[in-house]
Amino acid sequence: MNDTENARLERLLEEVQKPARYIGGEMNATVKPWDSVKTHFAFCFPDTYEIGMSHLGMKILYYLINGRPDAVCERVFMPGADMADRMREESLPLFGLESRHALSEYEIVGFTLQYEMSYTNILEMLDLGHIAVFAKDRAEADPIVVAGGPCAFNPEPLTPFVDAFMIGDGEDVMHELIDVIRDGRAEGLSRKEIFRSLARLEGVYVPSLYDVSYNGDGTLKSFAPNDPVAPASVKKRVVKDLSAAVYPEAIPVPYTEIVHDRMVLEIMRGCTRGCRFCQAGMLYRPVRERSMERLMELADKLQQSTGYEEMSLSSLSSGDFTCLPQLIQALMDRYREKRVSVSLPSMRIDSIVKQSLEETQQVKRSGLTLAPEAGTQRLRDVINKGVTEEDLIRSVTDAFECGWSSVKLYFMMGLPTETDEDLQGIGHLAKKVVDAYYALPKEQRSKNGVKVTASASVFVPKPFTPFQWAAQDTIDQVHEKQAKLRQYLKIKCVNFNWHESQLSMLEACVSRGDRRMGDVIYAAWKRGCRLDSWNEYFKFDQWLGAFEDCGLTPDFYAYRERPYEELLPWQFIDAGVSQEYLRKENEKAKAAQTTRDCRRGCNGCGLHTWGVCDWVKHPPLKDTDKTSAPLFD
Amino acid sequence: MKMIVVFEKAPRLRHIGHLDLMRAMQRALRRSGLPLCYSQGFNPHILLSFAAPLSVGMPGRREIMEVPLSEEMTAEAFLQKLSSALPPDLPCLEARGVDDRHPAPMALLSAAVYEAKMEAIPEGLSAAIEEFLAQKEIPAVRKTKSGLKDCDLRPMIYDLSLTGGVLRMTLALCEKATCKPDLLLDSLFAFSGLPRPRALITRTALLGEKDGALVPLEAL
Repeated sequence: MNDTENARLERLLEEVQKPARYIGGEMNATVKPWDSVKTHFAFCFPDTYEIGMSHLGMKILYYLINGRPDAVCERVFMPGADMADRMREESLPLFGLESRHALSEYEIVGFTLQYEMSYTNILEMLDLGHIAVFAKDRAEADPIVVAGGPCAFNPEPLTPFVDAFMIGDGEDVMHELIDVIRDGRAEGLSRKEIFRSLARLEGVYVPSLYDVSYNGDGTLKSFAPNDPVAPASVKKRVVKDLSAAVYPEAIPVPYTEIVHDRMVLEIMRGCTRGCRFCQAGMLYRPVRERSMERLMELADKLQQSTGYEEMSLSSLSSGDFTCLPQLIQALMDRYREKRVSVSLPSMRIDSIVKQSLEETQQVKRSGLTLAPEAGTQRLRDVINKGVTEEDLIRSVTDAFECGWSSVKLYFMMGLPTETDEDLQGIGHLAKKVVDAYYALPKEQRSKNGVKVTASASVFVPKPFTPFQWAAQDTIDQVHEKQAKLRQYLKIKCVNFNWHESQLSMLEACVSRGDRRMGDVIYAAWKRGCRLDSWNEYFKFDQWLGAFEDCGLTPDFYAYRERPYEELLPWQFIDAGVSQEYLRKENEKAKAAQTTRDCRRGCNGCGLHTWGVCDWVKHPPLKDTDKTSAPLFD
Repeated sequence: MKMIVVFEKAPRLRHIGHLDLMRAMQRALRRSGLPLCYSQGFNPHILLSFAAPLSVGMPGRREIMEVPLSEEMTAEAFLQKLSSALPPDLPCLEARGVDDRHPAPMALLSAAVYEAKMEAIPEGLSAAIEEFLAQKEIPAVRKTKSGLKDCDLRPMIYDLSLTGGVLRMTLALCEKATCKPDLLLDSLFAFSGLPRPRALITRTALLGEKDGALVPLEAL
């Protein structure tokens, strides 16, 4: 930005809400002189600052890219609606927070895809950044637009807008991608040639090098490379050794409050549980742990560089971390003097935590959140949620004894094979939790009285899960079930929250969408859709209009059960977990048969052939080995 | 002992509210490794107090805070440690060690100096200021927590002058009487009938009273 643009921006900041979102200059933000590096990478989070700044993946890649002497990574977030409008009026470009360069001035513009309903923000950000929204309209010198993250496992809906996708762990592929673009630019290669070089990298998908065709009924007929350099199947990247992988030792500390304002230690990646609805559980396989030694080293460095007063542990199922009790003990010992509290994944209310609760408040007593997901044992077996009612009641009883008095229970509605009995089961379970509280002697329980909050979200079938072929409940069915649940949950001390079904329906469309879904996203954005995951900006009617504009129906994407023979839009991606395995799991689900935790013996999901899964070589856990229930979020 | 610290809140941080600033300062203190004092109770926090919160939208050139310490140390050593832990827009400028019984800066505060940098200076402003100050009483309506209140601004104005496009104001800022610079500008431009230009107002100093004169607060 030049001086007058800067001055206009400063003036804009006087007018808009939450101006602190746009100022940058945080402690540990990396500022490099623009001309001191060859490659400028704009890391774009397609949601607002408070949300994006809470995201761990961005912190890892920001640190990793800025560790290179030849590159800089700057942060870009989706502006609030008021700011976006005013920037357009003033023709001020969307900019990187560190140096305030326009988005169009970076060689690489990278988006992280965390949830489907952020996609219209990507179009809005490109447009605000003065970059052509459609990849085909970009000029030779324009930035190369890339994307990665969990939703990149079905990249098809974004193919009209993104030049290249990174599939799998970003730490593993990022340097190679930057090298290829840096060298390609230095040699004066055309965009097309750079894309062809990118396609040669493992884990990189360049959509323009592939052609698709459709059957008369709208299903996919063919998907094939149109260039010999493009592989027929794109294999995800995997970080083999998490302890050796780059992890930030310093992260930007925001001035203004963000959603998760604390340091985060990622203790483990992946999950061995195999819940059949869970996309993350399949995508992030195999499970990999960080060593205690490395975690303690990182904790120290992060604490010293940020001054944060709170630390939390992150993974898909922290209770499964082999050394969890030792780690918690070590962290509490280390930080008692410094008054740093440790937020625990709430599941392990065992002796250590009980004792520390009595001594200090060093362990944060956050709300207790449990996710039984389904109301009956049958349905929990269908989804392979290896949790029993006894597990749940024992955990809440422990928690009530430790002074907790409010419990959140997460459920899903619309799971495959769900019946009215399963919905009633949600009511029964909530009632039993209340009873567990009153079963304790008066002097042992909190004086506040018990409060149970039951939340029911709408099940969204996702690619690379055993339910990827399943139909979603229609909005009418969901409304009917919500009405029933309201009846079943009319219980003293129980509150019931439900989720908006319209958003879940669109999420189902986009997450299993094909390339034509890109047209729908474009049409929706043209109709003014953005910030869709914000209630106040969500425009369902405009989305329906967008489907109509494109001659498509949401029913086809959300409500249709796919036959096994159908070619799925994301099938060319090799996530390690084989399609055969997913099919087998789907059949077992129909028969309500469970599949054991990988740690109790390899189930042959496909990743065992990659040589990256430690549990293949590891002696399986015995029946007598305790594994805590994966109840908690 | 405790340290009286002078720091700057640079213009970039003008949109940061007081609570956010306090949290940023507490985190900087944690990073510094200084021997801090903590509050008692279940959620101990670092003991730290500011002489006067800054309004959102206003930078501060010489803001003042008080940091109690659990060990004796020199001001130089303190400054060095804290400086290395502060973000670029929040530098600390001076520090002075005082006894624990030294009164809190907040208790000694009586006025503040502000500078309003205007985008354009209306013709006749100098003359208008003279007339404005010549009034015996300057009635105004002040917004307080308990609603609107009538007040007289005149005794709260210690100084008001225009030099080189900058309007300098020394205004009362203490528990008994506070005149916000914005209210003063409202009143001045309403009185003069001149158009009010856009202005960035910076608080440039905090003052206390010594022998009947206003002196920099950090020197008390």
